[in-house]
Amino acid sequence: MREMLEHAPGRIYLLVLLLSVILMAVAVFMGVTDAPADGEPILVFGWMTMPLVIGVVFVIVWLIAYLIYFTKHWPYR
Amino acid sequence: MVDLIALGVFSLIIIAMAAYGYRISAKTAEDYMLGGRTIGLVVMFFFVLFAISSSWTFYGFPGHLYLHGPGYVFFIWGSVAGFAALYMFLGPRLWALAKINRFLSPVEALAERYESKALRVILAVTMLAFIIPYVGVQPLGVGRGFEALIGTPLWVGATYTAVLLVILVILGGMRIVAWVNIFLGTVYVTALLGSLFWVIAVVFPDGGVVQAAQQVLVSEPAKLSTPGPLGAYSSVLVIGTFVVGLLAFSWPHVVIGAMTARDKTLFKWFPLLIFIFGGLFFYIIPFVWGSIIAPAALPGVTDVAEADRVVQTTIQTFLPRWFGVFVLMGVIAAAVSTAAVQLMTSSIIVARDVIQGVFKPDANDQQITLWARLAVIAIVILSLGVTVVVSLGLGDEAMALYLTDVSVPGFAQWAPALVGGLLWKRGTRQGAVAGTLVGVVWLVLGLLITNEAGARILLLDLHPVILTLPLNAIVYVVVSLLTEKPSEEIEDVFFNEVDDYLRSER
Repeated sequence: MREMLEHAPGRIYLLVLLLSVILMAVAVFMGVTDAPADGEPILVFGWMTMPLVIGVVFVIVWLIAYLIYFTKHWPYR
Repeated sequence: MVDLIALGVFSLIIIAMAAYGYRISAKTAEDYMLGGRTIGLVVMFFFVLFAISSSWTFYGFPGHLYLHGPGYVFFIWGSVAGFAALYMFLGPRLWALAKINRFLSPVEALAERYESKALRVILAVTMLAFIIPYVGVQPLGVGRGFEALIGTPLWVGATYTAVLLVILVILGGMRIVAWVNIFLGTVYVTALLGSLFWVIAVVFPDGGVVQAAQQVLVSEPAKLSTPGPLGAYSSVLVIGTFVVGLLAFSWPHVVIGAMTARDKTLFKWFPLLIFIFGGLFFYIIPFVWGSIIAPAALPGVTDVAEADRVVQTTIQTFLPRWFGVFVLMGVIAAAVSTAAVQLMTSSIIVARDVIQGVFKPDANDQQITLWARLAVIAIVILSLGVTVVVSLGLGDEAMALYLTDVSVPGFAQWAPALVGGLLWKRGTRQGAVAGTLVGVVWLVLGLLITNEAGARILLLDLHPVILTLPLNAIVYVVVSLLTEKPSEEIEDVFFNEVDDYLRSER
């Protein structure tokens, strides 16, 4: 992690990861994983509950950020 | 009879691999404890994924989802990020440091970094205290599987697992434990995924998983969103659960895996497998099992222990018996793959950090390897105490919360010293000792002292990590800043040389 903080791509990478965590927390606190007050729980594709959807999106964000940074900018590559 | 033959063949494969590993091993401590630091990417992935995917993924995790809805899955999202973080942020430095200085245990590396024998003892005792009961949960899980499928008492399955573990770890060492995890992981994924597809085909032939979800939507819609049917998973708890999952980077049996890597390129590609195979595939299987399929196929379970067994009960209810035996093998595979790595880690800590580090500094390679093997037997016997406690009705049956409520907070107490030791030059011996001691003492007292209603008053009845870890980290930082900074020699050995090594072409 020290090596990441020493250059701009690394700092951007860490910032993206941090932002993804913050956005996920914001989504949870805004009630995205709860059922709507006057309705049924949301099921994406008829079966994916919102905690699953949010997690999958979160992992994909980390995956894309990781692929870009580790294949192009990681100092130890 | 067929059950016993199948289980016998399964055991023989593991024992044969262990014997082969013994034959080809170099008979050195480094070879026994760290697989000679030759573990490549694919083996490492199976090694780590199935070191962390214990029988908890078959019992505790889906059982908790079944009772409380999908909020608990945030532990998985946190864990995926935590494991990836270990290999992206800490792993390369720990690996290089251990390789350059021939460290055999992460506790040893930290003790040398902070120049403190006291810290070595504190960390070793803490890790052992929290990992050994977790080792014990694995034979218990198999014992439950045997009980449910064959009808034997709890101790039969537990003892079977314990014997298998002793043979595997004593003969095979870390390299074979890693290799065996490929076999065990394959069996487990096949059993878990195969049973899921088959149950869906049998019970929900018209719409598959969508039909199951719609069924739950009609009967118990609260099971498909937070806070869940019992109202437990508030937004605060969901995020708290995620944070507890993030702490997976500090699990000692996962940290030690980073020290076995063949070269630094492993750290470049390992997170890819964690994200794709772990986060987007493997952990979704028990999630679908516990949060959709089991509630739709077998509604109405309210007892915690029954919920822990709900996947197995569903399989036994709807699939042929022979497949139940195969699934039991999968459970054994999950339990053995985790417990074996935990056992290896514990025995290394006992032999290298407690016996050689404190009592016999002059012990040679052969002696510490022998001590490690003897420690395996002792730890297995101790860990069987968990089964005895549950058999006698003295312990809690719920498996899910043992991991997240006791083991993870315990493992987390070395996180500030670990992260600071590897990344922060200003971290000092006094800071590491003070922070770790404060965190551990508060955690232990907090877990033990409860009021009449059962609330953990010293922890303000919050998750055990919420107060103890920040306090540990604050004490570590403040005391470090107030005490003399580490010597230039320490900075050279633990930072400059490591940087140079990682930036070189090696």
